[in-house]
Amino acid sequence: MSAQDSTGVIHDIGYRRYAGARTTRAGIIRALLLSGVLAVFGFGRSGKAKVLPFALLGMTLVPAVIQVGIMSLIGLSADLLNYSAYNAGSSFLVVLFVAAQAPVLFSRDLRSGVISLYLARPLGATAFALTRWASLVLAILAFVLTPLLVLFIGGLAAGASLREELPRVAVALAGAVLLAMLVATVSSLVASWTLRRGLAIAGSIMVLLVGLGVTAGLQEVADTEGATTLAHWAALLSPFVLVDSVQVALGDASTQFPAPADTVATGLLLLGAALVLMFLGMALLVRRYRSKGA
Amino acid sequence: MTVIETQGLTKRYGSVQAPALADLTIEVGDGVTGLVGANGAGKSTLIKLLLGLLAPTSGSATVLGHDIGRAGEQIRRAVGYMPEHDCLPPDMRCIDFVVHMGRMSGLPPAPARERAADVLRHVGLAEERYRLMGGYSTGMKQRAKLAQALVHDPELVMLDEPTNGLDPAARDDMLALVQRIGHDFGIPVLVTSHLLGELERISDHVVVLDGGQLLRSEATRTFLADTGTVLVEVTGEGDAQRRMGEALAARGLTCRPQGSLIEIDPLTVDGPSSGDDPVAAADGQDAAAAAHDRLRDLVRDTAADLDLGLVRIQARTGRLEDVFRDEVPA
Ligand SMILES: Nc1ncnc2c1ncn2[C@@H]1O[C@H](COP(=O)(O)OP(=O)(O)OP(=O)(O)O)[C@@H](O)[C@H]1O
Ligand SMILES: [Mg+2]
Repeated sequence: MSAQDSTGVIHDIGYRRYAGARTTRAGIIRALLLSGVLAVFGFGRSGKAKVLPFALLGMTLVPAVIQVGIMSLIGLSADLLNYSAYNAGSSFLVVLFVAAQAPVLFSRDLRSGVISLYLARPLGATAFALTRWASLVLAILAFVLTPLLVLFIGGLAAGASLREELPRVAVALAGAVLLAMLVATVSSLVASWTLRRGLAIAGSIMVLLVGLGVTAGLQEVADTEGATTLAHWAALLSPFVLVDSVQVALGDASTQFPAPADTVATGLLLLGAALVLMFLGMALLVRRYRSKGA
Repeated sequence: MTVIETQGLTKRYGSVQAPALADLTIEVGDGVTGLVGANGAGKSTLIKLLLGLLAPTSGSATVLGHDIGRAGEQIRRAVGYMPEHDCLPPDMRCIDFVVHMGRMSGLPPAPARERAADVLRHVGLAEERYRLMGGYSTGMKQRAKLAQALVHDPELVMLDEPTNGLDPAARDDMLALVQRIGHDFGIPVLVTSHLLGELERISDHVVVLDGGQLLRSEATRTFLADTGTVLVEVTGEGDAQRRMGEALAARGLTCRPQGSLIEIDPLTVDGPSSGDDPVAAADGQDAAAAAHDRLRDLVRDTAADLDLGLVRIQARTGRLEDVFRDEVPA
């Protein structure tokens, strides 16, 4: 637009000061949190940035839609609805999603240099890093909960009983939250250190997917050799195995892996250890961003 | 009004021997302040210290009345910062990016959108605001970087080498924009450059750093002020210029030919010439003015004695380049 439009009125008003309200620190954090979640799904970025996250989301929904379809068509029992096993089952897609999208939040800022603009703004490095982490957790949750929701609602529509399904879905929900937090921590660390998107994706897939395979194998061997304690604690090597194990021990869910924790006490210990590791990871992440201040 | 004040500000990176910034005591006020220095002079270090992004090794500073050690958040709320290096995500549209940065500085959603559109118009990116920044030219990128520094209506902006990488025309545009920010928008500006010439045109005050040391901190008009040196042109029979020069020298003046002109050094002023004490400085200025008049009288008398025509007597104004020529042994 030029300073003068067709009516000939000059619109080039000079610089205007802003005397209106400003948001608090919490308001800034909320805005950053939301923009982060949206950025993971490609919103606020280029059009093609939306392709991958939504393609993966579509793929992870397929089994849920099929299960619900079969249920309502053939009238199978609601026992088929195995919420807590769903994400371990589609772990490959979850890993792909996280590996591909964590760099959006953790490599892009550092590589393009936007980080120096963020750090020159009120939030500061610690709040920035933790908010970015929370954005990734929420985005992963959206990814893993959507199929569960389809299963749950579809199952109810196909005649499953709400009273029977609710506790089972609640366990799966808690498991999903734990999974999202653990996976977000691993992939954010990988992405903020590698910086290159390709490297970050390969690194995350390496750690998460290969970690999953190795852990399952380790458990198998340890279990058959009679080293049950080792088999239990091996779960700490993979978020997927760990969440499965905790769900089994504390939520009475069915397992996908060779050696889930068999007592509530073991489950709690495993959960505690996993959370401690997670906090350590978050502290490392914060340190990474604090060193970017200069 | 004083917007920045530093007291013995020193920054040493790690255990490096020479500090990046050594014992810097300056004051920055309204308008445009140029921060000049060669590569590695400590310009960016100073800005990062002032934003509270780096901790000083010693010394202290306040920005808009906030202490840099304790009130980093308040400072970063009130200041707009344009870094020297790339800082734009290539996969974002400029408008979305500037809105987002406004929100990160504490603007609510609607004002952020309104002001982003406004400042993009001011920096001259109105037409291109819906394009992805990855496809921007260097000139457009510098404008986008400037826009994000202005979007939250800061009380002070710090611009680190805004003319970096620009061609001469774009450089002039950027400098004009910086000057408008400082004078028309009414936002105090601290702007860095390693080119003295470009900042002398737009700054009210110039701080010159060299290897982390303060070389000068003065109002620009002092740089451009009458240096006391006088240029004289005479006409007359024979070798007028040479005869005039010899006569001037005979009267005890130091002079030398400058093309068709004669450059005459100022008469030495007795008394204090220190700039630290305002009273002494004022006295010094009076004395300089008197010496100045005496010099012009002497020139006139000499020309009259030799029966030469005086074409002109003109004061020679100093330029910023002289600061370096005089004080930095090359
Ligand atoms: N993070 C750092 N670690 C160690 N030394 C540093 C660091 N940053 C800057 N320096 C050193 O401090 C000195 C001042 O650097 P600074 O970046 O402040 O200079 P500058 O005036 O901005 O230079 P330029 O014109 O190149 O931008 C230089 O000698 C530089 O090598
Ligand atoms: Mg610099």
